[in-house]
Amino acid sequence: MSTTTAAPAAAVGAPMGELALRVARRGGRSVAVHQFHQGALRVLRPHYLDDSGQLGYVMVNPGGAYLGADLYVVDVEVEAGASLLLTTQSATKIYRTPGSFAEQRMAIRLGEGARLELAPDQLIAYREASYRQDTRISMHPSSSLLMSEIVTPGWSPEGTAFSYEELRLRSEVRVESTGLPKGGGLLALDNVLIRPRLGASDVTGLGFMEGRSHLGSLLVVDQRVDQALAEELRAIAAAHGALSGVSLTATVGGTTGLMLRALSDSTEELNRLLAGCSTYLRRHWYGQEALDLRKY
Amino acid sequence: MPNTPTSRRLALQQLTDSALPTGAFAHSFGFESYMERGLVHDEASFGTWLAAFLGQQLTYSDALAIRFVYDGAPLAELDEQLSAQLLPRQVREASIKMGGRLLGIGAEVFPSPELEAYRALVTTGRAAGHQPLAFAVVARSLGVPLEEALAAYLFAAVTSLTQNAVRAIPLGQNAGQRLLRAAHDGVAAAVERAGTLTPDDFGAISPGLEISQMRHEKQRARMFMS
Repeated sequence: MSTTTAAPAAAVGAPMGELALRVARRGGRSVAVHQFHQGALRVLRPHYLDDSGQLGYVMVNPGGAYLGADLYVVDVEVEAGASLLLTTQSATKIYRTPGSFAEQRMAIRLGEGARLELAPDQLIAYREASYRQDTRISMHPSSSLLMSEIVTPGWSPEGTAFSYEELRLRSEVRVESTGLPKGGGLLALDNVLIRPRLGASDVTGLGFMEGRSHLGSLLVVDQRVDQALAEELRAIAAAHGALSGVSLTATVGGTTGLMLRALSDSTEELNRLLAGCSTYLRRHWYGQEALDLRKY
Repeated sequence: MPNTPTSRRLALQQLTDSALPTGAFAHSFGFESYMERGLVHDEASFGTWLAAFLGQQLTYSDALAIRFVYDGAPLAELDEQLSAQLLPRQVREASIKMGGRLLGIGAEVFPSPELEAYRALVTTGRAAGHQPLAFAVVARSLGVPLEEALAAYLFAAVTSLTQNAVRAIPLGQNAGQRLLRAAHDGVAAAVERAGTLTPDDFGAISPGLEISQMRHEKQRARMFMS
């Protein structure tokens, strides 16, 4: 299943954990053609959740949490026609990072007609934690991306919400097409920056969290994304108690993005809302059933 | 045109006057959604929204974009980043619509090679033409110092939003003036903040503001285009 190659070059120093994965289509199914891991990151044995040929991988952090100055590097490539579902085994936990920050850098490349569903568990940043997540996605215009994220308030032992220092979750989606000037274009730049303790700004107030504790995001990029889909997902989201909004990006290289943002008071509610959307897309676009990861 | 402190001041005043026909009267940038939810309904509640919008979205997108133009960052790249980070469609379209008007006015009254270069990117489809970038290019070509340009741009945005609130909520004219006076500190803080933020901060979202801007697309009765 996996081939042996040299470790990908570390960006700065030695990462605490590294994971590289390349998935290709072989005879109607998606298989891993390259798999590498090192340090405190690994994947569970891949599996097929249904008969669609979509490969499922679960990322695991055996250390249980990210600490200060920890760097995690993840590199994922889905080759032409292949389909990958990437999840995590449990919540990503960030512990105290005094004078420093934990960081995850993720690079994703999606080939022609490739499909990636990225559905990690929620992110929990504890007291005095700082975390940066930098995700760079490069897509062929015909590829398909579904990416979700839930950020929790990270309760302190005293029961205080938002006692962490800083969370930065920045994702860039670039469409690579020979038909575009410069060979590609930036489709979406999603920059979530929460600094609960910065000066006069009140992240709990109007305009920011608005009295709610959890933030959920869903980004879908696909040539089939249109206003009608936005209406469908808007209606699905509206059936939940969360405060949500949906909008479309500009079209770049013939493909379009849909961003859904939701504020809620619980991880469970956001999980149901996001699952409702992903189930709709799985059925509507691929004839697949709802995701059942059997872990909740 | 002679370049003196007085000529620069007059140019800046014309560029940021609420009579400048960019169509700012047609945009609430999401406060109309808060009106529908009953959260913005009087002077105090609009002031709360205005302070949040100024300190968050206007600072992290518009003000920072203007500073990057002054820093010499490539316009095509900044333009592309603005289009990609303004995720609520109506807000992105408002920035482009008002930017297009400003580019046209600027070409007639404050022409410069820099402005022509940006207009050329827009007419050839290599840039969308965003309002803060059009403003920054013109202000910089006129020799307006960054801090003055930022303060003028932000206060112009706050002024048109307040005028829109006076009509829409409605508020008294004097309430509008009190809101503008109260926004002085927020504008000064935003100018200072914009000087210290980094490219990583560019376009940082404010979830509540963003969701309201997205929900405006489906609002039934509305006065504004955003």
